[in-house]
Amino acid sequence: MAKGNNSEYRKTIDKQYKELMKHCQLHMEQVEKTLPESKEDLHGLLKERGLTRRDFVKWTSVMTAALMLPPIFKPMVAKAAENFSRIPVVWLHFAECTGCSEAFLRSSYPNVDDILLETISLEYHETLMAASGYQAEQNLEKAVKDFAGKFICVIEGALPRGLDGKYLTLGPKGKTGIEVAKEVASKAAAVICIGSCSAFGNIPAADPNPTDCVGIKKAIGVSTVNIAGCPPNAVNFTGTILHYLMFGALPALDNLGRPVWAYGKRIHDYCERRPHYDASEFVEEWGDESALKGWCLYKMGCKGPYTYANCGKVRFNGGISWPVMSGHGCIGCTEPDFWDTMAPLEKPLPDKTYGGGEKTVDNIGIALTGIAAAGIAAHAVASGIRHKGDK
Amino acid sequence: MEKKFTSEKEWSVAMRINHWAMAISIFVLIVTGFYIAEPFTVSSGETVDKFLMGNIRYAHILFGVFLVFLFIWRVYLAFFSRFHADWKDFFAWADMKMTIDQIKFYLLIKKEGPEYKTLYGPMQSLAYIGLFFMVFVIVITGLILMGAGYHEGFTAVAYFILRPVEKMMGGLAVVRYVHHVFTWFFILFIVVHIYMAFWYDAILKKGTVSSMISGNIFKKAKE
Ligand code: HEM
Ligand code: HEM
Ligand code: SF4
Repeated sequence: MAKGNNSEYRKTIDKQYKELMKHCQLHMEQVEKTLPESKEDLHGLLKERGLTRRDFVKWTSVMTAALMLPPIFKPMVAKAAENFSRIPVVWLHFAECTGCSEAFLRSSYPNVDDILLETISLEYHETLMAASGYQAEQNLEKAVKDFAGKFICVIEGALPRGLDGKYLTLGPKGKTGIEVAKEVASKAAAVICIGSCSAFGNIPAADPNPTDCVGIKKAIGVSTVNIAGCPPNAVNFTGTILHYLMFGALPALDNLGRPVWAYGKRIHDYCERRPHYDASEFVEEWGDESALKGWCLYKMGCKGPYTYANCGKVRFNGGISWPVMSGHGCIGCTEPDFWDTMAPLEKPLPDKTYGGGEKTVDNIGIALTGIAAAGIAAHAVASGIRHKGDK
Repeated sequence: MEKKFTSEKEWSVAMRINHWAMAISIFVLIVTGFYIAEPFTVSSGETVDKFLMGNIRYAHILFGVFLVFLFIWRVYLAFFSRFHADWKDFFAWADMKMTIDQIKFYLLIKKEGPEYKTLYGPMQSLAYIGLFFMVFVIVITGLILMGAGYHEGFTAVAYFILRPVEKMMGGLAVVRYVHHVFTWFFILFIVVHIYMAFWYDAILKKGTVSSMISGNIFKKAKE
């Protein structure tokens, strides 16, 4: 019976995937017809950087699995990668440190994702473009006009709302960040926020937030895809674009705008140190014996249990390592306001202190319980005197 | 001259079972909860043979789910108990004069407390409203923390409904912290609650402590 149900289930799934495949193929044809020619030859570039065909094939399987698609989609992922540079991209910078761009573009050991990002057709990128002043402004206007409704607007950085947005002005005309974001985002096919600053405000918006910084969605009221992280993983960005290329739609998002395929589970759920957590094996001090054995970093303030991200699965720098693997706990950078909610970053949550001193919730709790006990003792004695001889 | 007492049924069986099941669950949850928050390391032995945190989390979540259902049951009893649906008694504090008299009695200014007809005294009703709120918050935050790690059945449904609450609260870290802070509220409640039960027993001599076990409370018989 169960078996019968199972094969029935399989059939439905297979049918759905076939339909999805058809949709994908049609859409890719459409892409090849309507979007501008690729400016870069991906395979040429890969060869130039010393990556083999085999590396590329391997990468497609990893990416297909990461996107939660069955293996039959591998050729489509490969095709989407070849067409990656067809999508025009306008990349805006607001209140941030440019660390996300740096992390994406400056890996010393580039993998397919990094090279893919190099092929991206940047119509405008303040850090990378040669133009400046009025010329830059013109480039932006031209890109927005030429590719209206087709380009993807990538935003790095939060938007300050204080002083009518004048804490952040850009370009020769002194437009506020909010004005620029509104102009560009309104013409874009999709807005992708790179990094936690544009997604949620992050460090520029950390308490006490003097410039009243907020994430893009809150600042200008458009819906955004949030590739959260400080910095995020390049894979989560390329995967989202690939998905968009393959299906003409953005991937499923969670209620914070993060793609579910990348941010659907917690760090703690993927963590290779997790067996040590369950076995009560914790690092107690930096560099102690337990640290050498690779035990769990929970007591060193790891915020993996509160953080949705796939770092442990896709890792960084070509899959070499990721923070918890390298021996430092997760700091929770893909979550809104992590700078405040995850503090102290190198101690467990209940070690947060109040009033500038050493008082934690537990200290306060113990003190209050002590006061209550003392009050009870006094009340008991007083009651004994007051109600002496009652019947 | 001798005083007569009559024994009256105060608590139904359901109420008593519910009370002690809740008391035991809360006790276990506090102990296991603190271990989860501030665990100690088990150094000796092989990793494969150890599962302390795993077991403690299991116990915490098991009793947590008990508490969820006990709470639902208790709320049900408050409205639909065939013995005595007591939801109105939770508003005994609305009678301000009586509440003030009761405070004076507690502060030993007055020797006699006010005569209330409700099941709970005015201060007691306030304390239990507060307690119900505490149980509600800890159950909701607990279900969110549970849903973050398990994605099936009852938990998945609860988490689907509660995910917006998680977002509103500011993420799992805040949820976890609130859960921890409320643990202390429970400890404070229990200290005062047990003292007051014994105090009532000593001052009013109605057998308050045993009433939660036997169900009966003593009342002074009218002449
Ligand atoms: C009086 C009731 C409860 C008390 C005193 C209590 C106490 C605690 C404490 C102190 C923690 C650790 C928090 C930290 O790390 O700072 C915790 C964690 C947790 N509690 Fe409770 N809790 C209670 C009820 C519940 C209920 C009703 C549920 C679920 C339905 C629940 C589920 C959890 C879960 C899932 C965790 C996180 C454990 C993990 O995944 O590692 N708790 N609790
Ligand atoms: C000497 C022992 C105790 C006595 C005589 C006692 C008595 C009572 C009474 C009379 C009530 C009000 C009845 C009610 O609203 O159901 C109550 C409520 C409550 N007690 Fe206790 N209690 C005792 C110990 C404890 C302990 C140790 C805990 C927890 C660890 C606890 C937890 C509760 C809770 C959660 C409620 C409110 C829930 C409810 O109303 O059902 N009690 N208790
Ligand atoms: S290191 Fe962090 S994420 Fe990994 S098991 Fe320990 S607490 Fe969880």
